[in-house]
Amino acid sequence: MFSVIRARRHAAAGFAALLVIAVAACGSTGASGSSATASGPYTVWDPYPQFDNGSAWVRLLTKCGSDAGVQVKRTAFDTTDLTSKVLLAAQQGVAPDVLIVDNPVISTLAQAGVLTDTATAKVDTTAIEPNLLAAGQLNGKTYGVPIGANTLALYYNKNILQAAGVDPAGVRDWSSLTAALAKVKAAGKRGITFSAIGTEEGSFQFLPWFWGAGANLTNLSSPQAVSALSLWTTWLADGYAPNSVINDTQTTSWQEFATGQVGFAENGTWQLSNAKQTGFPYGVIPIPADNGGATAPAPTGGEFVTVPVASDSGRYRTSAKLVACLTSAGNAYTTDTTLSYIGATATLQQKQAANGDLSSWVAAVRSAKGRTSDNLGTKYPKISQQLWTAVQAALSGSASPQAALRTAQDAAAAATR
Amino acid sequence: MNTRARRPAWWKTVIGLLLTAVMLFPVYWMLNESVTRDTDMRKTPPSWFPSHGTLDGYRAVIDQQLPYLGTSLVVGLGTVVLTLAVAAPAGYSLAKLHPRGGRALSFILLVAQMIPAIIMAMGFYAILLTTHLINTLPGLVVADSTIAVPFGVLVFTAFMRGVPAELMQAARTDGAGSLRTFVSIVLPLSRNAIVTVSLFTFLWAWSDFVFASTLDAGGTRQPITLGIYHYIGNNNQQWNAILATAVVASIPATVLLVLAQRYVSAGITSGAIKD
Amino acid sequence: MNNRTRLRPAGGGETPEVDASPRLGRPLRRARSGQWAAWAFLAPVVAYLALFYAYPLYRNLDLSLRDYTVASFVRGGAPFVGLGNYRTVLADPTFGPALLHTVVFTAASLAFQFTIGLALAVFFHQHFRLAVALRALFLVPWLLPLIVSASTWSWLLNSDSGLVNYALHLVGVGPVDWLTSPHWSLVSVILANVWIGIPFNLALLYSGLQSIPDTLYEAAALDGAGAWARFRRITLPLLRPVSAVTLLLGLIYTLKVFDIIWIMTRGGPVDSSTTFATWSYRLGFGNLLPAFGSGAAVGNLLVLMALLFGLVYIHTQRTAPAA
Repeated sequence: MFSVIRARRHAAAGFAALLVIAVAACGSTGASGSSATASGPYTVWDPYPQFDNGSAWVRLLTKCGSDAGVQVKRTAFDTTDLTSKVLLAAQQGVAPDVLIVDNPVISTLAQAGVLTDTATAKVDTTAIEPNLLAAGQLNGKTYGVPIGANTLALYYNKNILQAAGVDPAGVRDWSSLTAALAKVKAAGKRGITFSAIGTEEGSFQFLPWFWGAGANLTNLSSPQAVSALSLWTTWLADGYAPNSVINDTQTTSWQEFATGQVGFAENGTWQLSNAKQTGFPYGVIPIPADNGGATAPAPTGGEFVTVPVASDSGRYRTSAKLVACLTSAGNAYTTDTTLSYIGATATLQQKQAANGDLSSWVAAVRSAKGRTSDNLGTKYPKISQQLWTAVQAALSGSASPQAALRTAQDAAAAATR
Repeated sequence: MNTRARRPAWWKTVIGLLLTAVMLFPVYWMLNESVTRDTDMRKTPPSWFPSHGTLDGYRAVIDQQLPYLGTSLVVGLGTVVLTLAVAAPAGYSLAKLHPRGGRALSFILLVAQMIPAIIMAMGFYAILLTTHLINTLPGLVVADSTIAVPFGVLVFTAFMRGVPAELMQAARTDGAGSLRTFVSIVLPLSRNAIVTVSLFTFLWAWSDFVFASTLDAGGTRQPITLGIYHYIGNNNQQWNAILATAVVASIPATVLLVLAQRYVSAGITSGAIKD
Repeated sequence: MNNRTRLRPAGGGETPEVDASPRLGRPLRRARSGQWAAWAFLAPVVAYLALFYAYPLYRNLDLSLRDYTVASFVRGGAPFVGLGNYRTVLADPTFGPALLHTVVFTAASLAFQFTIGLALAVFFHQHFRLAVALRALFLVPWLLPLIVSASTWSWLLNSDSGLVNYALHLVGVGPVDWLTSPHWSLVSVILANVWIGIPFNLALLYSGLQSIPDTLYEAAALDGAGAWARFRRITLPLLRPVSAVTLLLGLIYTLKVFDIIWIMTRGGPVDSSTTFATWSYRLGFGNLLPAFGSGAAVGNLLVLMALLFGLVYIHTQRTAPAA
């Protein structure tokens, strides 16, 4: 008899526990994300977690919001994470109203149906330079506005070059560059550092040499491509570049240059503020192409401001206002100066060419190419993965450049069929 | 009487110190790098001690990261409470009450642990969206507890199995039901397991990143693992600030750790299972 | 184990004479109410499992059984392809190396973590000055975010500016390309993983050691058993349940490890340190064009591997004598 009562008590305890959990799970305890009404707060997602709430960027967002008459709620994500977060949010119907995202993923997001094209969202792109806009175009439609662009060039350590007897102005093609590296090594320093890591950063850094040899992303195993990869492998074999480039990100590669023990570094505009803090005088030259004369086309980095698809199309008007505000001449100039990017319009580029440290980069950006351009779109990620794998294979000695690129081309062709 | 305690054991202390030094050397290196200037980080050869140290990283952390530490603490403690509340009774049942199908449940708990964190995070995203707990701390607590509950049940089961059957029988003879036995006899004897599970749960919740970044990215209060991302910009990373954050974040956790360890040894020597 | 030992319950009180014979006359009702009670205690965890694990598990299976493109991931409507994703994954050239590396990584990590953890647990179980404090310090590696631990190991193992190569240089050994050579990348990540896993093993095994009564050791010592004999005859057998749990959990957690490998080598030059966990992540999240279907398929293969070992564990539990 007692045991039955006890059993009932146990059951009650069990159900009580269930109830507590259920209440905890269903209870609403805090403000959730944006609502779907056209007047609710507008969510902006960007890949700049280094800018916290007091920064100029966030103040700009708030100001653009108040100019458009709405409240802006901003969330920052790590740039490598942002694509999957956006896809997940779009799947659940809570994509942000304005999304600022790295340009190579625009095609992916566009194909996923996450982004509206600029015609639908009524965003003006007429002033944007075509070579910069190309990265955000897929099948003839444009899916966003670049906030600015960055690209790669060769930084050099003036002291080291002087001591080694190298004239930076004389570095105009690959053979003169390699000769310069030999002189720097003879003077007891490292020649050059770059990033060859097995991620998109590695492909990004390899592309100026790849394109500079005249190779094309549609054929990874062309002789030109092989010569580009052989350039890097010979540098490693001859000790002009440290072995750690295989694992270096662009940041760690820069840290190597910043120690003052390396002559050249392939890195981007965003290192300008760091360049001033290294403690040695530095210079910048464009990345030479194989045969000299023309500068190698470098890939464009930088983010696009886009408008994701919203369930309520009434929100596009305000979203477009936010986009226009962020990319307006004055605001874009301030943002680009903070990020060390080059402006996306001809006017802005002229302004930057006239003054400031970014002047030497403007020419590089003018001749730069989008990675997803030439309508490669979503084929680019698959090709890029094979490219960085081939670079890693050749640099680590697992395969010859020819064999590595042959494998890469076969895999890329199979993947993009 | 323990004759072992009488013999001088200073050489064991020395060995202990050596072992600890070897184990913690990477932590020392982390401390070293946290006060190194950015320009010296890749110096060849590396320096054992930074000649030109910088406290910039720590300054940034003190200025910016303290609220994140507070949030991490709250999330950690909340996760511990929830995990213990769910796992301890379950462990007791599986260890002592022999439910039919208990083995199947153990198996399911094993399977539950194997689901990759990122898949759990994606699933939780949908769950928390529907229950309006997205970007809130209670939601994060619930998510973090999934890291620890299966582990907790397994550990409690293993430890509670060690409670002697005679004690259980004695309690039953005294007329105590399962609940009373659980509260008055099994729980006190499982102090070890409770502290162990709490420790692991707290540490896992403290260092969780996947759930925090998926489920609390837009929250007004975020744990320290997300706070670190302030120093990981889209193009640049401030490594000394990142490391300084890790160092500062370790301090409250270390304090808790030392306290917990003391409690465990105190609990054992107060005569739980002694003749 | 001497099961005639009289044991006092916590809190003192009388030690009643224990009569192990069951009460006659109420076995059936006791059994039923016993089951009620048992499942009542299990109710929270069952509800918990149903609420929080069922959906993610279902999603994971669903992802692997359909042909997901980014478009169908967002908008739905992915066609069902049965085992198509699994076939693609099995045919992928990365499959063989990834499987091999997963097995090697897991086996080596577990072996070293467990033995070192056990040795340390036994060592710190002794009473000497600072034992408690030092043992607590051993858990510090666990407090560090993985991004920091993995990055610190990356720097220590850097080919040019790393301390390990510098130390090797000091003793006259040439530099090793720890992270950038296909031969060493797996070794490097195993090393870092062992370091990170020792605290877990140490803490669990130490707790297990604590439950073994000192009286047994003293009795054995009086009988003339040496330290190694005491370890083999008393510690190891009594530690078996905790060891089993530690090994099993260690296995599951090691199979899932990907942060460390990803941060240190991204899967190594040319897949030389790619395991199923990193491969799954790379397919689903680590590139510009996510392939969720294949990523989920690899993830499920990992779950299957862990399941097999789980079955082994359950089987050994069934055949082990009850405590």
